[in-house]
Amino acid sequence: MTSSRNNFPDAPRPQGRLVDARLHLLDRQLFDADEAPVGIVDDLDIDIPTKFDIAVSAPAPPVTGILTGQVLATRIFGGRPPRSKLQAIPWRLITKIGTVVQLSSDAEDLESLWIEHWLRDHLVRHIPGGRRAAQ
Amino acid sequence: MFGTFRGAAVQLSELLALPVCDAAGRQVGTVVDVRLVIDGDLDDRPDEPTLFGLIISPHTQSSYLGYERSDARRPALLAALLRWRHRGTFLTLWHDIARVSTDSVVLRQGFERYSPVLRDDDNRSPGEHRNPS
Repeated sequence: MTSSRNNFPDAPRPQGRLVDARLHLLDRQLFDADEAPVGIVDDLDIDIPTKFDIAVSAPAPPVTGILTGQVLATRIFGGRPPRSKLQAIPWRLITKIGTVVQLSSDAEDLESLWIEHWLRDHLVRHIPGGRRAAQ
Repeated sequence: MFGTFRGAAVQLSELLALPVCDAAGRQVGTVVDVRLVIDGDLDDRPDEPTLFGLIISPHTQSSYLGYERSDARRPALLAALLRWRHRGTFLTLWHDIARVSTDSVVLRQGFERYSPVLRDDDNRSPGEHRNPS
């Protein structure tokens, strides 16, 4: 087996914490302000220009939000869900990033979460043990 | 001509698996992950992340559980296999990216390759956070 060690130098360290989007954010569960699961992180919006050359001095593009929605079919059969099937959640509504991503109470009104809330309030909570948040 | 940023969002899934070329048009690999830097407290309304760089693999499109980037060594056989598969994987920084389009990423002439290893002291990984109580 060929050696797999890379001998590239370390990158200069920026201020802040480094995370890899695919490894650390995708597929993380989304919790609402009451710590009830309301979806998963299906994608991220990154504000990168695609129609122009990028200036050397251009500031690093921000992640403006996370996307969640109906992705079951594409997870089974491959491909990407159309944008219309995804709900953008602005980054300002994220209060915590850990093993789950927690949203603020302002996210309660998001369109994508209504079905989760309806199911929780009308179905899940009537199942024995269904009043407790998943641990 | 250079672009402005707000309102030109690209989805992460559009970046992953994009071929990456150098300034001469030679393919140098595929985007396998996007490294972000987050300022502020991850537990208390963290700041908007910004793009630090792209993780580019010359041999595979898959991520393989972070073995190619962390100091994970166990199980040894799996770690060795995955590190071999990801040999040559490198990190390139945002300022070395010349253009992003729907079908490729083009790097600047003389772009730098950095180690993709995400070291323990780089951060407290979100996966290592305590569970919410």
